[in-house]
Amino acid sequence: MASLILRSRISTSRILKTCSANISTTLSNFADINKAACLKDAKQIRKEVALMKREDIIQKQEHDNATITIEKPSEISTVSGIPEEHIKTRRVKIYMPTKNAMQSGTDNTHHWEMEFETRERWENPLMGWTSSGDPLSNMNVQFTSKDDAIAFCEKNGWPWFVQEPYKCKPMKPKSYADNFSWSKRTRVSTK
Amino acid sequence: MLRITVQKALKGGFLSPKHVSPMLSKGTGDVQKKPQQIEVFVDDKPVMVDPGTTVLQAAAMVGVEIPRFCYHERLAVAGNCRMCLVEVERSPKPVAACAMPVMKGWRIKTNSEMTKKAREGVMEFLLVNHPLDCPICDQGGECDLQDQSMAFGSDRSRFTDIEYSGKRAVEDKDIGPLIKTIMTRCIHCTRCIRFASEVAGIDDLGTTGRGSDMQVGTYVEKFFLSELSGNVIDLCPVGALTSKPYSFAARPWEIRRTDSIDVLDAIGSNIVVCTRTGEVLRILPRVNELVNEEWLSDKARFAYDGLKRQRLITPMLRNGFGELEPVDWECALVSVGKKILKAGKNVGAIAGGMAEAEALVALKDLINKIGSEKVCTEHAYPTTGSGTDIRSSYLLNNKIARIEEADLVLLIGTNTRLEAPLLNSRIRKGYVHNETQIFVIGPKVDLRYDYTHLGTDPGVIKDIEYGKHQFTTVLKRAKKPVIIVGPDALSRPDGAGILLHIQSLAKIIQACVTEPDWWVLNILHKVAGQVAALDIGYTPGTKSIVQDDSLKVLYLLGADENIPCRKDLPKDCFVIYQGHHGDKGACMADAVLPGAAYTEKQATYVNTEGRAQQTTVAVTPPGFCREDWKIIRALSDIIGKTLPYDNLDQIRCRLEEIAPHLTRYGDAENGNFYDVSLDIGKQSNVEIETDPLCVTQNCLEDFYMTDVISRASSTMAKCVSAVRQQKSSQY
Repeated sequence: MASLILRSRISTSRILKTCSANISTTLSNFADINKAACLKDAKQIRKEVALMKREDIIQKQEHDNATITIEKPSEISTVSGIPEEHIKTRRVKIYMPTKNAMQSGTDNTHHWEMEFETRERWENPLMGWTSSGDPLSNMNVQFTSKDDAIAFCEKNGWPWFVQEPYKCKPMKPKSYADNFSWSKRTRVSTK
Repeated sequence: MLRITVQKALKGGFLSPKHVSPMLSKGTGDVQKKPQQIEVFVDDKPVMVDPGTTVLQAAAMVGVEIPRFCYHERLAVAGNCRMCLVEVERSPKPVAACAMPVMKGWRIKTNSEMTKKAREGVMEFLLVNHPLDCPICDQGGECDLQDQSMAFGSDRSRFTDIEYSGKRAVEDKDIGPLIKTIMTRCIHCTRCIRFASEVAGIDDLGTTGRGSDMQVGTYVEKFFLSELSGNVIDLCPVGALTSKPYSFAARPWEIRRTDSIDVLDAIGSNIVVCTRTGEVLRILPRVNELVNEEWLSDKARFAYDGLKRQRLITPMLRNGFGELEPVDWECALVSVGKKILKAGKNVGAIAGGMAEAEALVALKDLINKIGSEKVCTEHAYPTTGSGTDIRSSYLLNNKIARIEEADLVLLIGTNTRLEAPLLNSRIRKGYVHNETQIFVIGPKVDLRYDYTHLGTDPGVIKDIEYGKHQFTTVLKRAKKPVIIVGPDALSRPDGAGILLHIQSLAKIIQACVTEPDWWVLNILHKVAGQVAALDIGYTPGTKSIVQDDSLKVLYLLGADENIPCRKDLPKDCFVIYQGHHGDKGACMADAVLPGAAYTEKQATYVNTEGRAQQTTVAVTPPGFCREDWKIIRALSDIIGKTLPYDNLDQIRCRLEEIAPHLTRYGDAENGNFYDVSLDIGKQSNVEIETDPLCVTQNCLEDFYMTDVISRASSTMAKCVSAVRQQKSSQY
């Protein structure tokens, strides 16, 4: 499984830099009135870094930029906020949308999608629209590949199954002349 | 044009070697050298294609879709809509991509100025006479003309009706209860005509008149009655042919599509169930080259209104007055459980034709746990000899898709047209494109292609087997022969004898076949659940139930067709019916447990070729209905013999334990041990009787209402009455 790199969320290095800049500020910089008038608001000086030594600041910077590598697939279901009921009791179907039989185009059928199993839907008496008590009923995520979809489901802890698309048959050359062939049954009877 | 070349050829005239060689190779034999591929460029992308490939096909190979109205992959090339015009470099005029074969080194430009102009012009002509009624048209939102006029049409109209004559208007036709026609919308693509004459084999549709007077119709007032008629609705690129039952029901963007499997015949067609709120609005086919291609039979497509009628929605128990009374689940399960506990081992079960593998496994496990072995299916099948132990003796071994490759088809005691319309369309495809010869032993039925009738007497099979019939030599000479045996021939009392002789005939023929993986013996089933039931180990036929005088409880799992009637059962026998429709089975039952129909459960079905496929939930079951295996699981808990599975994954693991192919969805597990099956069969001594072979579905009228869902469907009833009405018509 792919390892995942977690970055620390609060980037303190930038704060540190600005802090040190503020410390070195001298009065002479304010001699130029025009320049001083254009200055933006100064960053707030933080107490915890104000007394730090330069080495300590560098060490802290290094520490903050470091990454932790985890050697197993990440599971975010515990922190994703999705109720347990909608993780453990759901089944995800991973599939490629099929071509609409009513049309000849194949747009919007070349990607993978995921869909949860159908739960009860009913007609809302107010407007006649469809109601559902299922929060995942309309969740429609598209993926470029099957593996992406599977990885996404794994990450979220949903049980999944894949509906494989049908295999295309090799193309057979078609001939307009078949319509008029004397000896074949493909000869057109009705026009 | 061809006539001239033939005369020239006879004269030995001035033909270039290029013209002569194909004629010679045709005459001398079938040893064809694989022709050299030629290179063409589509939008500067090089592609190697076989000679004879059309421009449109070559473009499709590199993923360029050329707009089209009349062209359809599964129909003959018509070349009349001109929408597929594309520019070919150094050609003065644009060419019709669907009909023009590519030449070496052609540079096809599908997006050039000339191509765009040609498309815009065609679009303009089409729209001159096409009504602007998209807001009230059922095709609106999934209309090829609508989409293509947006993509390729002009942004303004030059149509000024200076004479105030209005657009062309055509009278609507009444072509039956399934297809609504608004012929003014027709753009004369002739797809429906080609479908009717090529695939359905019914030459009823055609055109009359020329130019702007051209009309598509049936010439005389006539219904377009075919078991595949609904497909012209899909084929129609505009809203000229739309679905009557679905008319004004919904727009395509407000419906949800759920991929599923059809269970109204044993083919297992792939379908898309379209739903809105908790209702099935229509059923469309889903492309699967291996099963149904792109077609769907009318029963599968239109019987969905039967899912809303005649449903069992609450558990019921028969009260003191002999009436079925709605009760709650607990009450029903407890009283059913009590009866089963009291009955001890004297419990039997009959599974119906639409039972899925999960419920079949759960029911068999439960009955076996109680200590009974009486689990059977309602449709009979020979059990003597190796019976149903060996899969090859009850499967369509050669697979549906390969039937079209056959050069000889022998149908025995079957009306494939009505029992499996999509198998019949495959045979017809072979007949049209492959010059397949078809022979029939059994009733003379209308199959929509020519065949040689060898008689109705089953003794003919023996004659052919022993080489006494002249047909034997024809059969032996065939390169790819198939024998398809129908369910009605094998459910006869002498079915075992018939099967044995067919198996032995198939063995003789198989020896002459050189084609690898080509299987001569093919058995067709009528119902979707039969193969799974036999795979799991159900006994076919209800004989063992009827003969048992000590039977105390009979469990019907959706069995309604061939069940024993009340007087054949012991007097104190308690009948439980579990299913989704109130039909024969529920009528005679003492307790009714409402189950889910095929659109309401995720279930495994195995089709007649042994292909496991699964349905998915499109709508939730109505009322108190529950998924079938869950009902049985709950019941097992009540009688203290808890089944060891609690969710779908666990029961599927159990399925896999019994037969691993049941969960290999999409794959068809091959049959095997052909010879072993024959050898074991030879030990039993069942002879063929002389009664003529007959089928239960003889004419189109018998096709529409064959199971609980289609019997509850009013659309199907309308079809039956339309067929009857057509019979009395003078045309």
